[in-house]
Amino acid sequence: MMNPADQSPRSPRPVPERFLASKATLRLDALMTWLIRIGGVSIIIMVLGIFVFVLSQILPLFKGAHIEPQTETAVVANAAQVKAFGVDESSRLPFVYEGGDELRFIDLAQNGKIISEKLTLPVGARITAQDYHAGNHRMAFGTSTGQVGLIDISYASEGTGAEARIRGSAKTSASIPIGQEGAPVEMIGYGDSGSGKLFAAVQNQSGTWKLVVFPLVQKNSLLGAGKIEKGDETDLTALIKGKPVKLLVPQTADSVLVADESGTVSYFFLNDGHFEKRQEFRPFSDTASPAVASMDFVFGDVSIVFTNPAGETRMFSLFIPQGTDKRIYGQTRTFSNLPAGATFFAASERNKSFLIGSGTRASLLHATTESTRWEQTLAFEPAAAAVDGKFNHIVFLGKDGKIRVLGLNDPHPEAGWKAFFGKVWYEGANQPKYEWQSTGGSDEFEPKLSLVPLIFGTIKGTLWAMVMAVPIALLAAVYAGQFLRPEVKRVVKPVMEIMASLPSVVLGFLAALWLAPILETRVVSFFLVCLGVPVLAMLVGVAWSRMPVLTRARIKPGREWLALLPLMFLAGFVLWKIGPLVESLVCVVKDPATGKVTADFRLWWPKVTGCSFDQRNSLVVGLMMGFAVIPVIFTIAEDAISNVPNSIIAASHALGASRWQTVQRVVLPVAAAGIFSALMIGLGRAVGETMIVVMATGNTPIMEWNLFNGMRTLAANIAVELPEAPVHSTHYRTLFLGALVLFVLTFVLNTAAELLRQRLREKYKIV
Amino acid sequence: MSDEATASPITGVFTLNPRMIEVRDFSFWYGAKQAIFNVAMNIPERKVTAFIGPSGCGKSTLLRNLNRMNDLIDGVRHEGDILLDGQSLYDPSVEVISLRKRVGMVFQKSNPFPKSIYENVVFSLRVAGRNKRSELDEVVETSLRHVALWDEVKDRLHESAYGLSGGQMQRLCIARAIANRPQILLMDEPCSALDPIATLKIEELMSQLKEEYTIVIVTHNMQQARRIADDTAYFLLGKLIEHAPTSDIFTNPQRIETERYISGQMG
Ligand SMILES: Nc1ncnc2c1ncn2[C@@H]1O[C@H](COP(=O)(O)OP(=O)(O)OP(=O)(O)O)[C@@H](O)[C@H]1O
Ligand SMILES: [Mg+2]
Repeated sequence: MMNPADQSPRSPRPVPERFLASKATLRLDALMTWLIRIGGVSIIIMVLGIFVFVLSQILPLFKGAHIEPQTETAVVANAAQVKAFGVDESSRLPFVYEGGDELRFIDLAQNGKIISEKLTLPVGARITAQDYHAGNHRMAFGTSTGQVGLIDISYASEGTGAEARIRGSAKTSASIPIGQEGAPVEMIGYGDSGSGKLFAAVQNQSGTWKLVVFPLVQKNSLLGAGKIEKGDETDLTALIKGKPVKLLVPQTADSVLVADESGTVSYFFLNDGHFEKRQEFRPFSDTASPAVASMDFVFGDVSIVFTNPAGETRMFSLFIPQGTDKRIYGQTRTFSNLPAGATFFAASERNKSFLIGSGTRASLLHATTESTRWEQTLAFEPAAAAVDGKFNHIVFLGKDGKIRVLGLNDPHPEAGWKAFFGKVWYEGANQPKYEWQSTGGSDEFEPKLSLVPLIFGTIKGTLWAMVMAVPIALLAAVYAGQFLRPEVKRVVKPVMEIMASLPSVVLGFLAALWLAPILETRVVSFFLVCLGVPVLAMLVGVAWSRMPVLTRARIKPGREWLALLPLMFLAGFVLWKIGPLVESLVCVVKDPATGKVTADFRLWWPKVTGCSFDQRNSLVVGLMMGFAVIPVIFTIAEDAISNVPNSIIAASHALGASRWQTVQRVVLPVAAAGIFSALMIGLGRAVGETMIVVMATGNTPIMEWNLFNGMRTLAANIAVELPEAPVHSTHYRTLFLGALVLFVLTFVLNTAAELLRQRLREKYKIV
Repeated sequence: MSDEATASPITGVFTLNPRMIEVRDFSFWYGAKQAIFNVAMNIPERKVTAFIGPSGCGKSTLLRNLNRMNDLIDGVRHEGDILLDGQSLYDPSVEVISLRKRVGMVFQKSNPFPKSIYENVVFSLRVAGRNKRSELDEVVETSLRHVALWDEVKDRLHESAYGLSGGQMQRLCIARAIANRPQILLMDEPCSALDPIATLKIEELMSQLKEEYTIVIVTHNMQQARRIADDTAYFLLGKLIEHAPTSDIFTNPQRIETERYISGQMG
């Protein structure tokens, strides 16, 4: 390689030592280079790591149900005739009732060993109608001899470890004769709310059917809880048009729903011990096959899933339509079609999911989100299906006599794009809406997980805070940067910086316990001061500029504030004091509570605008958050303004521009990029601000721009709810989704702002 | 050019004022540091007066006092007085803004605004509330022609001033300073960053401008002072050493310090 001929004729002279960089310098340089590199890379890795973590928490929300076959056990000979089918909460001991006088438990752990339980029925009676409720493992029945009764199925575990077994037992209650004695019962429905118990039965009374409903009542005696007896019977036959084909009694035990042959559903409501026919509706009146093929409650018994013989599937829920005062059923959902009317149905007892199917087609649907969680055409035809209490298994009883257990893994059925970002028609609501209500009082509670009100709240809080902060902060920055004398500025700036470092808990505390009560009664005063003081300042400015030069010369430039400040304080004080007077003249309103005419803004505002007035409202939040944001914006904007080169400010002055003209025409454009950054950083602070919002608002996730009520922001929501959300629950993951949304929101804002800032900087670049 | 000079309102004055600016026993302090010591001098109307002297001797300070630009600095103080056309600059009835409109200034380092060439030139008109398009267009053209920049930039008037070369920028700053036709033009080493050709152009410009304007120029360039100045003032350590017609200063200095300075033995 090295050819001596290539070498330059003269070997280079050795470089004198004084030109060489010292070893230590080079080593330090290399070391620092590496340290900085490592620091940079690890920050990127950490940010990515957080991002990956958040994503890993969120992604499961968007997965469908995972269902896989687990066991298959051949047991029942005549499965097509099965009358009732149910499982225990972990799908180990299903039972089958095929008519007759015994109930068969099937121990899947023992390869389908059948354990029969004898039912104690009245002599000579046969069960002709039954209604099994999976939630409380209770089967109501009616007999050929005109009696009704209840069979309670209970499970108990025996042994421990590998020996552990579940034992099932069935306890039959005493039968109660109903309607015409001895007339067979054809259809039965039963609901039990704990305090109320309601039976509905269709009885064949010598060839004509009758719909009979009656409650069970418990007479209390001195000796404690008394015997349960049959209450008064009501015959509703006359109120129905056709022969009943479906009968439903919700567990609230306050109503009865009857579907007749024509597809008309009648809704009877128990009002003060009397049944009234509250509604008659035809779920499929607009379709080619208007009959009702199936009618079943979703968990909570507020919504009913109907199918018609053509397989159309619709859900109706109870709600109070706008302008009325009675809860009636109305259609809230349409699900995808089944091949024909549903032949099996099983509602989850954990959430609003339900399994529905027809023929070999089976779907797991979710009522709230109107989504299909899972759908399959099975290799067999189920005669009945069940979902266990833990929502861990689906159990099919096939017409081929086999019991098939399918593992069900669907931890977040209520999640999904629609639930988070779309309008959802929740149970009980009279229209679809965005709503956040993650936890409720009862098990049947339907979580409402729309992030839209929270995003709205975040924007609302930020906006009001910016409305309060931006004018003050920017004007202050301009004043401090270009007008104020440096001696004063040297004091003002650090004070502002201290303000910026006030913990927001302190601000939130002040807002909630000090500011909110004051502002509540002094809204009018506050607005008078807000409007009055700036207007006064401007008027003084105008008057000042009209004064002769000699008068103006008395106050040195940069010292005007000394004269203005006392005036402004005085004006503020006076306006604050006359606020109540103005209020008593303007805000006259009749107090709805006492009927007296008073002057109170708190009553006047809702009256005039129709919006509510809360003590802890956006005004308080805006003010306090504004207070937190002002120093941030001020400090950065003031820096930007102070950094405008003196040379061009001097040029402007030398050309005869006044101080304000210099600010307006030279300083502000040049500082625009920096001011913009200041605004964005302030915005970022407001968007992410948590404690002030948590403490100073009612945290109600409402969607109103009203200045006098609260909001709930994404950040506050996380702070408030994360501690109580069970780890890995839908709620927990949704809170993380909220965090991601917050992140994306700030990211998009900041990126847009950065692009704009670059353009501004390019435009007003100083060479 | 002379047509425009006759169009100037100032040409209505028949006798030129030999004491256009009168500096009376003027001292000036930056905080505790005194920068000017008891300077007294008269600057005649429509002549070019050059301030020369070693670095730090207070030339810029005195110049900046002539249009009260030093007001922008904190902690400054003065004694004595400066009169413009017989009226004290420091009289409380003097509006600084109108004073600066009368006394324009060109800085040592060119400092155009981050705006278009056009907007730079018309800045002084806009702040005076003169926004009539035709008037502005005319002022832009005459001002830029004055500084011999028109032909170079007439096609890109609305582009940023920062696209110009250093010499062009300085000429733009001069055009900007004369756009509103001040009476007096203060120039602080306007050519220090320019090449000889640009310098020559600005010198030519000054000899034209003095038909209309009173010019005070600070320069470190003896040749320049000789070429363009009618009068020359020599400062040393904040004191005015000698103030005389340029030819006298350079050929027949009265003071030994002056002689040593101009012969290059000091400074
Ligand atoms: N803003 C200021 N604050 C404090 N001292 C200053 C300021 N400007 C100038 N000085 C001082 O005042 C003295 C005169 O400065 P000046 O700028 O007038 O000198 P100069 O003659 O223009 O010098 P040069 O030829 O280098 O421009 C110097 O000693 C300088 O340090
Ligand atoms: Mg200087």
